[in-house]
Amino acid sequence: MPLKVLDPTNETAPPLGQKAPRLASLAGKTIGVISNGKEGTQGFFAHLDRMLREEFGVADVLRHVKSNYSAPAGPDIVDEIRRWQAVVTGIGD
Amino acid sequence: MSERGHSDMHFAARTYDVGDLLAAQELYHANGWTDGLPIVPPTEDAVHACLEWAMTPPDQLLGIEPVRAVPITAEKLAINAVMAGCLPMHFPAVLTAFTAMLQPEFLLHGATSSTGGCAVLIILNGPIRRELGATGSFNALGNSDRATAVIGRAIRLALINILEVRPGGIDRSTLGHPGKFSYCIAEDEEGTPWMPLHAQRGLPPEVSAVTVMAGGAPRQIMNEWTTQPEEILETFAAEMRANMRQYSIWSGNYALIIPPQLRDHLQAACWSKADIADFIHARARVHRREWAEVGKGAVVRDRGDTEHAALGSPDQLLVVAAGGPAGGFGAVIPPWLGDKSRAVTLPIGACVDCEPPGQ
Repeated sequence: MPLKVLDPTNETAPPLGQKAPRLASLAGKTIGVISNGKEGTQGFFAHLDRMLREEFGVADVLRHVKSNYSAPAGPDIVDEIRRWQAVVTGIGD
Repeated sequence: MSERGHSDMHFAARTYDVGDLLAAQELYHANGWTDGLPIVPPTEDAVHACLEWAMTPPDQLLGIEPVRAVPITAEKLAINAVMAGCLPMHFPAVLTAFTAMLQPEFLLHGATSSTGGCAVLIILNGPIRRELGATGSFNALGNSDRATAVIGRAIRLALINILEVRPGGIDRSTLGHPGKFSYCIAEDEEGTPWMPLHAQRGLPPEVSAVTVMAGGAPRQIMNEWTTQPEEILETFAAEMRANMRQYSIWSGNYALIIPPQLRDHLQAACWSKADIADFIHARARVHRREWAEVGKGAVVRDRGDTEHAALGSPDQLLVVAAGGPAGGFGAVIPPWLGDKSRAVTLPIGACVDCEPPGQ
């Protein structure tokens, strides 16, 4: 018997932000790092921090840790993002 | 039924024409819209009946999942409930459970996306259990009855389809657990003099209610060799300490499922749920140094003497009377991740956003 059935998914695409213009170079830039704060992030982001400065000539790396690693970054961190030229975020399980 | 028409109810969902029941199965499986098991095709009639039973318009907004800004409508939830096998009478419990999951303290995105792999434990209380035939007796944590099976499954299908909580998609679980198919139990209120869970959590005992908790897999205990409440509860506390050592040390909501054989001894000694919670709060504790005994010495550091309690306060314990009549068993259901997600209890059929009378 033919059936007419309904779509169970969220058909409304979640609002997506626009990609920021890509940077031509990281030299002299301020880069923010948002870590989820798990143990594994410490060594990883410390190494990334060093790489960004030594290999890419980044002027400043600002490292932030979320207060809750399973929730979005708090407003204090989000407010600061506008002062950075690029941001790296990641988890470290 | 199709002659009835739905002039009073307009659906926003896209529709698909399929040749027959098997074609419907393949459409849903092929699109990743199932949990791998067959589904009931969600026709307009079936979805309409669910919404009508709950007296809810299809565009009713249950809430917006805040992290990804996804609106959750009653229509989409009803579609998933039908797919799970829900009859209209099951839908109010599904609606209430999902509304509870959208409360900020539940931390829905974190709980459903985490590598930790918890499932949403749903506990039914009040008169609705009897209307639905949810007994909370034999095989309470398994496939005990139709109602709990389909209500729990509806929640998982809704997560998969509305919030894209698919393995490897939003669901990043390393292992997950079998409760992710369906993790719903009813409290055996008729089988105990204890205050039901929803009343313990502040609701009138005569209302029907749903409690949701981001829960790990059940850890079964056994103690058939005592009638002493302290000894019985020490076995539960030991299992919680084991969870704190081997899994996660952080305090949060734990559920204890206590079947009749062990419950009888506790009740005969006049131990209430509050007495149990006080005992467990005092006994389910470990020192950080114990991590060194289970291979986690690296994170003890200089805080070995720090004591951690499984419960931040006694009221974080959810004591549930459920299980078949024989067997000295019980279960501990640990929290996903301490108190990052907190259990939420809501009454069924009450508007949580409505102004109280006279306001």
